[in-house]
Parts: sequence; C-alpha cells; structure tokens
Amino acid sequence: MGKKAILLSAVLTSLLGAGFVGYKHAKAQDQELSPEEEIRLVQEFNRMLAEGINPGEIWAEMGKEAFKKYNLDKCDFGLGPGKIEGALAQLPRYFPDAKKVMDLETRIGWCLQQYAGMTPDQVKKFAKECWGKRQCMGEYDAIVMYISMASNGYKINVNLKDPQVKKMYEIGKRIYYTRLGPWDFNCATCHAGQKEARIRATRLWSADRPGEAGKAISIFPKYLVRWSQPMTMHYRYAECIRQMRWPTFEPHSDLAVALSTFLYATGNGTEIKVPGIGR
Amino acid sequence: MRKRVLIASLLIAGLPLIAVSKQKQKESVKEEEVLAVLKSGLDQDPRFAPKLVQDESQKICSKYPSREAMPAKEIQRVMELEAKNIKYPQWGIYWGDWNEGKKLVNSSRGGRFASYGFSDKPTDKGGNCYACHLIEKGVPGGTMGPQLTGYGKRYGITKENMNTPEGLEKLKTVYNIIYNAWSLYPCSSMPRFGYHGALTPEDIINIATFLLHPDSPVNK
Repeated sequence: MGKKAILLSAVLTSLLGAGFVGYKHAKAQDQELSPEEEIRLVQEFNRMLAEGINPGEIWAEMGKEAFKKYNLDKCDFGLGPGKIEGALAQLPRYFPDAKKVMDLETRIGWCLQQYAGMTPDQVKKFAKECWGKRQCMGEYDAIVMYISMASNGYKINVNLKDPQVKKMYEIGKRIYYTRLGPWDFNCATCHAGQKEARIRATRLWSADRPGEAGKAISIFPKYLVRWSQPMTMHYRYAECIRQMRWPTFEPHSDLAVALSTFLYATGNGTEIKVPGIGR
Repeated sequence: MRKRVLIASLLIAGLPLIAVSKQKQKESVKEEEVLAVLKSGLDQDPRFAPKLVQDESQKICSKYPSREAMPAKEIQRVMELEAKNIKYPQWGIYWGDWNEGKKLVNSSRGGRFASYGFSDKPTDKGGNCYACHLIEKGVPGGTMGPQLTGYGKRYGITKENMNTPEGLEKLKTVYNIIYNAWSLYPCSSMPRFGYHGALTPEDIINIATFLLHPDSPVNK
C-alpha cells in the first residue's frame, strides 16, 4: 500500500509538471489537443492502467480525509450512517428523511447541508468547483471518488420495485427522449438506437444495445486524460447538456436524479469499477 | 330479476378492471411533470426561458424513440409544419461563397451557452458539421449522418449545369435540408439550423455552396 501511494504521488507530480507546461499552450480547457498528442496520452494511460495505476485513485486518498472533515460519517447512503461499502450499487433510492429519491451526489449534497452546515448555494459551489478546469483537485470530487470506490466489485442493483424509484425511472426515461432547445437534441440523439455511430472519433454508447449503458456508467467517476482530473456523473451530465445547447446544468437537481435512476437501473447487474479512465 | 343479477355481476367483474386502468393512469407520468423536472435542473436565467419552449414538432418527436416508430399521420404533420418554417435569402436561391461556408462547417463552437469555465461566446457561429458527417476527403468526421464527400459530384452538378433551373433546384433542396431538416426528414437528429436562427439564410447558402460547388474541396 505504502509503495503504491509513493508510486501514485510520483505519477501525480509528473502529471502536474507536464500539465503546467501544457497549460501555457492551451489556456482554454476545450482547446483540442492534436490527435497525435491525444493518442500518445491515451496510450500512456492505458499502460498505467495495465500496471494497475490510475491517477484517479489519488482523489480517493484525499476524499477519505474530506469525508471525515465534513462529518459525512453521519450520512446514511441507504445502508446505515457512514456505511459506504456497496452504497453506490443500490443508488438511486428513496430516502424517507429527505422524502426524495436521491442518487449518490445528490445525497452527498443533502448531507453536506445537514452535517457540515453548508447552505444550498455553498453546496452547489462546492460541487462545481472543478467544472471547466484542468488539474483541479477538488474536495467534492475526492469525496465522490472515495465513496464510489468503496463499491468496487458490487453489482448495480437499483430497486425498481419501490414505486418512488420507479416513478423517477419513468420520468428519466421520458426526459431521455424529450427533444428540446435551439438545436433540437435529446439524449437519444446520440445514445440510442441499434446502429453504431461516431461523433468525430468517439464511438457512442447506446441505451438500446444491451450492456452498453451499464458499461458506460459503472466506471464513474472517470479519470479524464485531457483534463488531468476526474469527472463525476453530474459533471458528465453537465457536459452532455452543454453540448446539447441547453442552459447550464444544476448538479443535485431532480433532473440529475431522474437521469441517474434511468441510467443506473438500465445498467442493473453491471459490476462497478471505479475510477474509469478515458480520453 | 335475472337481468339485474347479470348487470350486478358485470359491475362486480368490471370493478377490478376499472381499478387496474386507474392505476395504470397513475403510473404513467404526465408530460408537464416530465418537463418540470427537466427544467428544474437547468439554469433559471429568464433570458434562456424562450430557448426551452417546446414547439409542436418537438412535442411530436419526443413521443417516439425513432422515425420508424412514428405513425404516418404524425410524420406527415411534422413535414407540413416544417415546410412552412423555411425562409430564403433576400436575393433568392443563388450560389454563395464556399470559402465562407467551409468556415461554418469546420467550427464546432456555435450555439453553446452554458456558463462555466469555457471560452465559448454567445456570438460564436458554426454548424459543427464534422461531428456527424464525413465531408472533405481525409478530414476525420462522425458517422451519425450520411457521408457527404463528393456531394456535388454525386448530385451531378457541373460548371455547365449549375446555373440552369435544374442546378439551382438541387441547390435549393440542400438549402432546405440545412435550413430545416425536419421538413424532409421529420424528427431527424439534425438540428433545424435556419429555423432556430443558429445560422442565417446567407450562412446556409454558403454551406450548401461548399457542399455542391464544383470548385469546392468537397468535390475534388
């Protein structure tokens, strides 16, 4: 363990160093890397992954501290206060204390209000700290990573027999197909159908092809090579929605919970493997 | 007497049926509720509110997972609605500047307005066409939409016939597809660029020219 931690911090140092040099060249996060540079980065990280190193794990170490700092050991994720092993696998679920269906990040946000004394605005700011940045080490991302990794090896098991959860699932499914906004998109524009398609070089997963939704979501939070930081599920939703030319997405909203309920339930049975790694 | 028994037994038998159908109604969520949840998760800035009003075609398209699943009547309705939603450049249909069209085809920046960290501007304009289409030979593109390499050539457009009524009619067809794809392909994945004002009629004629003009790199 000690050796691994040393290795990880070595990787991180070199990453931040490399990133700093890169930063001068590309200040805006969405400035695209050259295809060659991208391929090189992905190959490097594939090698790291094969050797069992994922930079995303650094966030889990930090998250362990932050989890205590913000009194989240009092937070019930559905399995009892502070119990996080397998918690992600059974979310979203209905929480009687909040009288709402919540997914992991929404629940974290609720608990931060209850046990860390944050206001709703502070929670939102906390959750969005690393949005639109690169090499950002945020405590929120760290907490999500720490809790998610405690479910590694568990299979996603959203309880659709609960009528509240089922209702959120139905709403999420309808949202998935709602065409809206000045570019007429819905989620299904890219992520549905039997025909395989690419957006530029990226192969798109489809909710209609068995196993693909589960494979896509079971690796979140996912470490992103191009930004040198992990991306949580809610940040992923925000990015999709930005590309869809909809207004800025609000984390911990019912929209997020509805989407999570539909997606995680569609992925029921898939083993959680966090953090994933991607371009 | 017998009749009464019959009616009574029919009523009793019918009760669970009514109960079941009521339950079903309860289970299926209402459209307003779906839209309310959706909008609750987006920035509430009143300037964006008009961008989130569904028009009739969007409402119809939201009901079906794909065009194959749409009844013929609905397909026709969308086509009728959208045929009326096309405007043309003030000088009519005539060839534009393919160099200008190329810039708009290449730019991926148009139309985004989410407000965190990124360098997109509300004034950025572009179709992000390569996301879904292969266009110029050798330039990487997506495969969600049909391949457009050599589009003008495949349409049979040459320097000799491009200004004939037939040539201009072909230009108009492509203009219509870009301006309002749903007028020809109802509920297609392709945004209605002109209808929503994401691109102006002049922009669209330039893009159509880029795709069809014999001098354009698309047709080399």
